[in-house]
Amino acid sequence: MSTLDTTTDVARRPLSGRRAHLGDLLLQGAAGLAALGAVVLVGLIAYKIVQGAKLSLSTFGLGFITHVGWDPVHLSFGAGSFLFGTAITSIGALILATPLSIGIALFLTELAPGGIRGPVTALVETLAAIPSVVIGLWGILVLGPVLRDHVEPFLHSALGFIPLFGPPNSAGTGIFTAILILTIMILPIISSISRELFLSVPGELKEGALGLGTTRWEMVRGVVIPYTRGGVAAAVILGLGRALGEAIAVAQVIGAFTGISWNLFNPGNTLASMIALNYQGASSGLELSSLIYLALILLVFSIIVNIVAQLIVRRVAKRQGLAQ
Amino acid sequence: MPRNGKLVRIILVLGAVAVAASFAVTAASAKRSAGSLKGAGSSFVAPLVNAWIAPVNSDLGISMSYNAVGSGGGVSAITNKEVDFGASDAPLSVFSPTCSTCVQIPWALSGTAVLYNLPGAKNLLKISGAVLAKIYMGQIKKWNDPALQKLNKGVNLPSTAITVVHRSDSSGTTFNFTDFLSRVSPAWKSKVGTNTSVAWPAGVGGNKSAGVAGIVHQTPGAIGYADVAYSTIAHLNVFKVLNRAGNYIIPRLKNIKAASALDTHPAKDGSLSIVNPPKNAKYANAYPISTYTYVDVQKNSANAANLKKLINWAVTKGQAFGPKLIFQPLPAAVVAFDKKQIAKVR
Repeated sequence: MSTLDTTTDVARRPLSGRRAHLGDLLLQGAAGLAALGAVVLVGLIAYKIVQGAKLSLSTFGLGFITHVGWDPVHLSFGAGSFLFGTAITSIGALILATPLSIGIALFLTELAPGGIRGPVTALVETLAAIPSVVIGLWGILVLGPVLRDHVEPFLHSALGFIPLFGPPNSAGTGIFTAILILTIMILPIISSISRELFLSVPGELKEGALGLGTTRWEMVRGVVIPYTRGGVAAAVILGLGRALGEAIAVAQVIGAFTGISWNLFNPGNTLASMIALNYQGASSGLELSSLIYLALILLVFSIIVNIVAQLIVRRVAKRQGLAQ
Repeated sequence: MPRNGKLVRIILVLGAVAVAASFAVTAASAKRSAGSLKGAGSSFVAPLVNAWIAPVNSDLGISMSYNAVGSGGGVSAITNKEVDFGASDAPLSVFSPTCSTCVQIPWALSGTAVLYNLPGAKNLLKISGAVLAKIYMGQIKKWNDPALQKLNKGVNLPSTAITVVHRSDSSGTTFNFTDFLSRVSPAWKSKVGTNTSVAWPAGVGGNKSAGVAGIVHQTPGAIGYADVAYSTIAHLNVFKVLNRAGNYIIPRLKNIKAASALDTHPAKDGSLSIVNPPKNAKYANAYPISTYTYVDVQKNSANAANLKKLINWAVTKGQAFGPKLIFQPLPAAVVAFDKKQIAKVR
């Protein structure tokens, strides 16, 4: 508490001397310009996207959002199946990645012996540096066949009564493969932020809990997780943002099927991968405009996710404040 | 510290060498270069265009760059005058809005191969367009379907499920392939149609030729399609395809050449379709999914003189680079037609 007060005190102290004043003005100007630039850029992007989507907006209206189908020959377009694909792949990836990354972060901060922390941390973070096109290629050539030959038949025979685990797909490309690829891509984001958060938990609190005779697990559940809940929720949302927008790796492994299938092993498509795959080759103005309409939907979708994330973080932080 | 100092010195020296080298290169190219031309479009023709870059620079002194963004991207780039030439596998008339101020010139000739992966089966099984259309509509689902078995008498086809593989991005190769299916199957024409991407009734999509070939390679029972050049590189099994003369034809240069015998009546707009040539002794060995690919240029171009030089070179001397990359050199009649088209550019 006391350290915090001193810093604000220093910041509030009036600056003396013309040089310092000039520097202050320059900093204010440059930082303000940078912030303004970001706002203007987002505004311009939104304007350009609405402009580009106009033709499709006026042709299909809001029915576009739920219409399932994409037919460049008969000029009938809709976002329904891509919205479904985006939602199911992102949610699936989050369900898999969240416990895994929190587990990795806990292992690295609380459980791992000192010698292996460094290398494992570096390796997990390297995952984030692999280009998505490489992960996608690995998905087609390595992961897909393994899923098709071993994992999917097993899941189908064990859990086949759930419609999500239908008959396996013969090609190994599909929604399930995309979910796993996305899981790999968002894992390092969530786990490295969570690790930083877990490290920020004051040692006294943890030692206090252990001193009271709690087990490691009770300490993690009672101290580390509650202390960092808001931040971890924000990390998960950041991962979700990545999953929503990832285009190339998903495009390579999802199999590009326009339609809604609840069987995870069937091919599907997402908003981002649809745009990436067809933007350069759209054969009509209406198709191009419809692709931009998809981008508009994705933009609105991401903004909603961001707002929801802010609300969650704020609520958790508030509750945490009350608890302390 | 001494180590650091040494490192800094090495970096400085390397930097100086790089700067000097880039100056030298710029100076050298400035001396020779009569101008530069920018192109974009078809990835199908990209290997050939890339092979042209060096000889075009040495023969004509023109430095040419090519960006393989895909046929649709090429047409929109030339329509908006962002490049000096666009390249497309599909004729301009397919695109809307199309480039009404463009000249369309067929400048390369190749075909689309139908690939498959069937463990235990030999290369060069036989297929007909009608059966292929039914497979791509999801109506024929197994390899031992009577329709497929009938075409391959004496081959014991397994009951393996067929996995249909198509392009997930839009592409000129898809245009060629669906054009063929539309011409051989009325059902395909009315339900699906011809375009650079279509509403596929069945199957999984792969991103670019590499994606399609990758999935076919990994999937026992898969059937896919890719341009002939790519299928040769990928070492995948290809079908012999039935032509209207009743022969099963391998996608090889001489058979693409046989299909190009149908070159005598190019359309007014410069488009030339040789897909599924008519039943005629002249086309007995014609591969039915052969295709011309086009270069599109603005009639009024700032770089007209260089552009004319480049395309004249491409349709004559440039054709010699084709066979190695499985592009059949243009027939004389098409070259003559092209020269007339080039004259329209000013």
